[in-house]
Amino acid sequence: MPKRRDILAIVLIVLPWTLLITVWHQSAIAPLLAIRKGTNDGTETRHDTGPATDSKEYCSQDKDIVEVVRTEYVYTRPPPWSDVLPTIHVITPTYSRPVQKAELTRLANTFLHVPNLHWILVEDSQRRTPLVTRLLRETGLNYTHLNVETPRNYKLRGDMRDPRIPRGTMQRNLALRWLRETFNSNSSQAGIVYFADDDNTYSLELFEEMRSTRKVSVWPVAFVGGLRYESPKVNAAGKVYGWKTVFDPHRPFAIDMAGFAINLRLILFKPQAYFKLRGVKGGYQESSLLRELVTLNDLEPKAANCTKILVWHTRTEKPVLVNEGKKGFTDPNVEI
Amino acid sequence: MRMRLRLKTVFVLYFMVSLLGLIYALMQLGQRCDCRGHAMSKDQQISQLRGELQKLQEHIKTELSKKTDVPKIYVITPTYARLVQKAELTRLSHTFLHVPQLHWIVVEDAPQPTPLVTDFLAASGLTYAHLHKLTPKDRKLQEGDPSWLKPRGAEQRNEGLRWLREMGAAAEGKEAAALEEAVVYFADDDNTYSLQLFEEMRYTYRVSVWPVGLVGGMKFERPVVEDGKVVRFHTGWHPNRPFPIDMAGFAVSLRLILTNPQARFDGDAQMGFLESSFLQHLVTMDDFEPKADLCTKVLVWHTRTEKPKMKREDALQKQGLGSDPDVEV
Repeated sequence: MPKRRDILAIVLIVLPWTLLITVWHQSAIAPLLAIRKGTNDGTETRHDTGPATDSKEYCSQDKDIVEVVRTEYVYTRPPPWSDVLPTIHVITPTYSRPVQKAELTRLANTFLHVPNLHWILVEDSQRRTPLVTRLLRETGLNYTHLNVETPRNYKLRGDMRDPRIPRGTMQRNLALRWLRETFNSNSSQAGIVYFADDDNTYSLELFEEMRSTRKVSVWPVAFVGGLRYESPKVNAAGKVYGWKTVFDPHRPFAIDMAGFAINLRLILFKPQAYFKLRGVKGGYQESSLLRELVTLNDLEPKAANCTKILVWHTRTEKPVLVNEGKKGFTDPNVEI
Repeated sequence: MRMRLRLKTVFVLYFMVSLLGLIYALMQLGQRCDCRGHAMSKDQQISQLRGELQKLQEHIKTELSKKTDVPKIYVITPTYARLVQKAELTRLSHTFLHVPQLHWIVVEDAPQPTPLVTDFLAASGLTYAHLHKLTPKDRKLQEGDPSWLKPRGAEQRNEGLRWLREMGAAAEGKEAAALEEAVVYFADDDNTYSLQLFEEMRYTYRVSVWPVGLVGGMKFERPVVEDGKVVRFHTGWHPNRPFPIDMAGFAVSLRLILTNPQARFDGDAQMGFLESSFLQHLVTMDDFEPKADLCTKVLVWHTRTEKPKMKREDALQKQGLGSDPDVEV
């Protein structure tokens, strides 16, 4: 009899704790810990719950990223997330230089108008910088912040343009890898992938044009190739048959990075497709990725059959900082 | 016997305490997160959250649009036709669309309004006034002139001021009262503006000032503030100007402009003195209201856009094979 009682006592002691542990496991805490640890590349993803809570706990594995409502007076919220619209994953490589914060600020101001936009910002740096971290957080946008440093031999040295080593390649590839690790091809996640450099100018119409991409869609880009604009050649049947460029129009895809968008499904379906890093001739970087994904025949022309300009390849002048002198004239603690 | 009893009570006590703790923890969890697997399907939960989110955002939107009681900001932007004009205006409009009660006064350097700007403004979604004023030939920068040779935009900004004064004279009653609180800002079409900047300038009594990034050959120029007052300017370029401040670094209350009809930009002023030519009619340094955390934060950047290389386009045009001029760029 005493033995049974002892057993009963032990059971009664252990039972509450096992219950607690199992429930705890199923709850939010486990995913929270997983997110906190992050992946090897040091990612920071934004997963937030609805407006009712502002606690630190996140709901489980919510791939449908729901952005939090911010009540700051400064930024308006991005438009409400829609169940129907495909998400546009915008991949932007960036690097530190004086105009960086300005470029990212005005880019964010544009993106804040686009519904279902997910900004994947990849820094060319050893660590994610506080400047970019803070900026992203303050915008209220739905974002993922990554970083990878281009090894010294690949980097462009100063102002010397070495056309064999395109800038931003490693960063774009990292973003592609992140997409492939985050989304599996079976999911019904409708998404479009777009490569947006931080100094270009994008109209809002462009994002709505690319949203209907089935495989790869293309459109004209202004101020590239030494022309007012470069554009795909579209025949009467609405198919792309060539490229209206002066600079090497016989490239497989004579198009600028800003001139095409890819359906996420295609990216996931061809997991080996990346931008080629080494030995790529100037102007062939886009082709190095696209030729692994589509043929010319599959391209979908947008922007009124490639007759409207919806994106401009603007470049920002390097500011002349002569008066800083050797020691720096201005307070280095002030962020620009 | 005694030992046993003691043990028994200890166990009972322990059981009660752990049970209570468990219940408490479960209640905590239950409140915070509704995702306990079997209770609600994930999709239901997501759409429920979204629905709530949408409701709240609609609520905020209506609150924002009701925000008619904040002072208006009149932004005067001189612009001129060149390749990057449409791009610059486009990204500028994206910033302005976020700012409540902003009225954009676009003044073209042209003999008449151009279709590009007319169509653009109509589609922008902003509240705007479309003006134009041609710079006289002798004051205009010629092709190949460095940008610092002659001050640019003086006539256009004066035209904007003229329009404001006209509007001020015609307004009466509630409108006139609203104008008393309004603020005027001169925004060039190639600079970069953060949204916070507009909230900083919105409440200006006379002239408010703040730092400007990437100007004057430095990372930033700024007014130096001591005891809440501007005492001097920190700049590396011509610091002995009456007001060594960039056009993007100050905003003027509309009231001050309306009560000083003689205040205008001097188109003949030396480069860098354009701002001073205007401000000296209105204030002294003591009157400046420092913003942006007592002028320690950079909220606006004097970015400049490169002129796109058109070598191939020019070559093609010589052969008569230039890109379709009907396609607007």
